[in-house]
Amino acid sequence: MTEHLGEDAELYPLGMLDEDAARDVERHIASCSECAERVGQAQAVAASLAAALPLSTPSPALERRLRESTRPQPTAIRRVNLFPFALAAAFALAFLGLGWQSLVLQQRLKTQDVALVTMVHSHFNHVSMSPESANPVAAKILYARDGSWIYIIADKPGGSLHAIAQTEAGVADLGALGSSGETATLLVHPRDRIRSITLQRAGTDVASARLTY
Amino acid sequence: MDELVEAFATRKPSGLDQVYALWSRLFVSVARHVISDSALAEDCVHDALVRVWRSPNRFSGNREMLKAYLVTCVRNESLGMVRREGRRDARELKAARLAPVTSVDPPVVDPVEAQRLQGALGRLPEEQRAALTLAYYGNKTHVEIAQELNVPLGTIKSRISMAMRKLQTDLASPGGSRS
Repeated sequence: MTEHLGEDAELYPLGMLDEDAARDVERHIASCSECAERVGQAQAVAASLAAALPLSTPSPALERRLRESTRPQPTAIRRVNLFPFALAAAFALAFLGLGWQSLVLQQRLKTQDVALVTMVHSHFNHVSMSPESANPVAAKILYARDGSWIYIIADKPGGSLHAIAQTEAGVADLGALGSSGETATLLVHPRDRIRSITLQRAGTDVASARLTY
Repeated sequence: MDELVEAFATRKPSGLDQVYALWSRLFVSVARHVISDSALAEDCVHDALVRVWRSPNRFSGNREMLKAYLVTCVRNESLGMVRREGRRDARELKAARLAPVTSVDPPVVDPVEAQRLQGALGRLPEEQRAALTLAYYGNKTHVEIAQELNVPLGTIKSRISMAMRKLQTDLASPGGSRS
């Protein structure tokens, strides 16, 4: 057992800790009932402080959005053959880092899979996923700027990983990442634009990221 | 286990319905105190609740603990958005200047609880009350508070921690919480 939280137990519910320190608190209280109780008491005080805030009324849209987001949904994602896209992502990442213009690549890819060409020629963003547990996974997401495809890469997944997305239409189950050696990957073409993705291992969140377009 | 808590923890739609019916105004008020843009504030409430909903095993306890936990999630989500996107807007600056309890203009989230709170805050030592007020109602970091009050960072943390613990004792005491 590591050292107890101390004053951070009271600072956490006030939102005064930075993200790293807040995660440390969450990790600690998951295994320390004494500190969990102290944080719980501080949370109750923080909730009492909210009583004096000016009252705001939610718009009707919030309830609708919550209902949609929490409604169990069948997978609304068209799964695709991963291999050519995985290959393309690897190419794309390498070329991004090197700043190599795609002229030569275009010539080489002309005869290859159309999907691969499409992906390499896409404008895309990438984001590292933030750890969400004491046993997180290092993962990154590449995604088209128009939201047409999402590619998740996890390094040393440490077990089966499942991807859950928050889309503009609600929560969508993206499915399990396919494992290949030291990495696990998943490529999807979402029907609705994805706002954030969470990776779960055995039902526990291990990493998450918000996508911006 | 409380029926509402059990329904929420087991992801029954009735659990979310009850949570929303009871506390949605509280959650939105907490978020809007941090972010003046109502759409962004509602985004934070939505994202915080959905995150907890998807990870029900993060919570166990009674109804009041669930409420307090969700309020913490909403506030942290809102402050996180502000920090990530650098949105320190007029509302925050305005809030930072407010003396919370003495400037309570109706309507507030919970007038009865606000009055109890006013009494409890009034019984705190001045330096603890000032630090806690700037932290919660002013949305200030402990670094900003230390600069504003011109005291060491560690002292600010201690004052806030002490203030929270005294409030907890005071608000839990039936006699002490009457003002």
